[in-house]
Amino acid sequence: MERRQGTDEQKGEKKRHAFLKKKDIFLFFFLPLLGIIIIFFFLSLINRAFIRNKVEDLVKEQLRATAEILKVNISHFLSDNYSYEEIFRFYAGEENIYYMALLDDQKKILGWHSRFEGYLPLSKKDIGVKDSWTIDSPAGKIFNIFTSFQASDARTYQIYLGYSLESLEEMNIHSRRNFFILFGLIIGIGIIFFFGIYQLQNHYRQKEKEAETERREKERYKEISAFTSGVAHEIKNPLNSLALLFELLAKKMPNEFEQEISSGRSEVQKIARVIDHFSASLKPLDLKKDRISLKGLMADIQGSTFKDDIVIDYEEEGKIVFFADKGLLSQALLNLLQNSLEATNEGEIQVQAKKHKKKILITVKDNGKGMSEEEVQHIFDPFYSNKKDGMGIGLYLTKKIIEAHEGKIECKSRLGRGTSFFIQMPGG
Amino acid sequence: MKQKTNVILGMILLLASLPSFGQKTENFYNVDQEIYIEGKIQNIVMEPRYKENSPFLIITLEEKDTKKLFTVEISPVEFFDQDFHKGEFLIVTGSLTSSGETGNNIIAREVQSKGETFILRDKHGFPTWRGGKGQMSRKGKRKGTRF
Repeated sequence: MERRQGTDEQKGEKKRHAFLKKKDIFLFFFLPLLGIIIIFFFLSLINRAFIRNKVEDLVKEQLRATAEILKVNISHFLSDNYSYEEIFRFYAGEENIYYMALLDDQKKILGWHSRFEGYLPLSKKDIGVKDSWTIDSPAGKIFNIFTSFQASDARTYQIYLGYSLESLEEMNIHSRRNFFILFGLIIGIGIIFFFGIYQLQNHYRQKEKEAETERREKERYKEISAFTSGVAHEIKNPLNSLALLFELLAKKMPNEFEQEISSGRSEVQKIARVIDHFSASLKPLDLKKDRISLKGLMADIQGSTFKDDIVIDYEEEGKIVFFADKGLLSQALLNLLQNSLEATNEGEIQVQAKKHKKKILITVKDNGKGMSEEEVQHIFDPFYSNKKDGMGIGLYLTKKIIEAHEGKIECKSRLGRGTSFFIQMPGG
Repeated sequence: MKQKTNVILGMILLLASLPSFGQKTENFYNVDQEIYIEGKIQNIVMEPRYKENSPFLIITLEEKDTKKLFTVEISPVEFFDQDFHKGEFLIVTGSLTSSGETGNNIIAREVQSKGETFILRDKHGFPTWRGGKGQMSRKGKRKGTRF
């Protein structure tokens, strides 16, 4: 039941995170990017429309002025009795004039000229209603002017002109192209920028989550420590009384009970040892770091702990000197060596050490019986042991000591092929 | 007799020149004069219409109901690659540039034949064979737009 509840909680947590992720993508990525794009789009649109209108007005004003000049010129031509055909021939070379027509006061066409075959888009719907208008054609926009003038013979003429707005169109196309390039750039930069922010935020959230988990673990550990210390203390007092009682019994009881009493005393001592180890494992480690030589440390362990018949094959690449708590590190390495020794019987134990970047890598390797994958997974767990008389404290303490030095320890093992412990310590 | 023949010939030439003069001044696509006719092809000729341009395909069309004859200006010959034959049925949308004694002349904007539609000019009369932007001076063989 509890397990099921736990699974549900995990699912709920996953869902909550998944929801947050989607929400964050929307809040930190799409929404600001969309906002910038919309603002840019509208500002650019307004700006472009304003410039286009202004330029169009300027061009049209200029074309109206040109038409005025044209009217004066045509008036002179008419005074000089030039034919309509001759007049139009003068303007045939003008690239910007697509078509022109001369009409009398009754709006009857007297003559006309067009750069395109039969193309003179003069409609009664347009003339008389407005003096200028723009039409679209496959050759681009054409600005049309319909205006009247009086020649020197006092006759009223009307002139119809179609000017090319090709240059204006080109400018618009250029402006549109620049707009899209800029638009694409903003989108591109925006995507990169917000993706970066999103990644950063994600990373921060991950770290925050890790810190929270660590804080909870520490709190839990503290509570368990306090509780178990209290329990150990409560057990230790009656255990001391029991030990004293066995001492008294040993003195007062007949010799025939000596073996039983000794056995009982030994068991009590064993319990006391377990409690001592247990209390020691719960105590927070207070590191007192000194500059130590690994080779020297290994020599001390060899000399003080192992007999002459057990030789540890130690190799190091370069002189390895670093800051660590000598006593605790010595204990950690001793635990590993004892563990290897117990696994090998008459085998070999190799210790290799080297510097790698700013780390010190220590490998403790044996060719003993090895462990199964499941055993390896639990090897550093407290009170886990695959030995008959093991208490499961040694390797747990080793890991605790290495981690207290901000190092890491890993174990790799294969059944029948031996076990290796890899330690990574800072301070290379 | 010879003098009489010359007078008659002169009158015929004068009459023949009248529509050509009218066409010269009014032969533009007048958007206010758009008409739609259906009829049979009576004759197909190629003749110059505008200065500095290749000959145009000109079709004489007999209107289906009134049996009136219309001269339909299609496009430059090199632009139009569809084969027309006498007696074929044609639907034409275009601008009536002259009518009556001077002849019924049409500048075609859209021609439908055998289920195909050929767009020759836009709604303002801009010739399709003159292309769009960047194709203003392009010449050569081009096909009409088919649907």
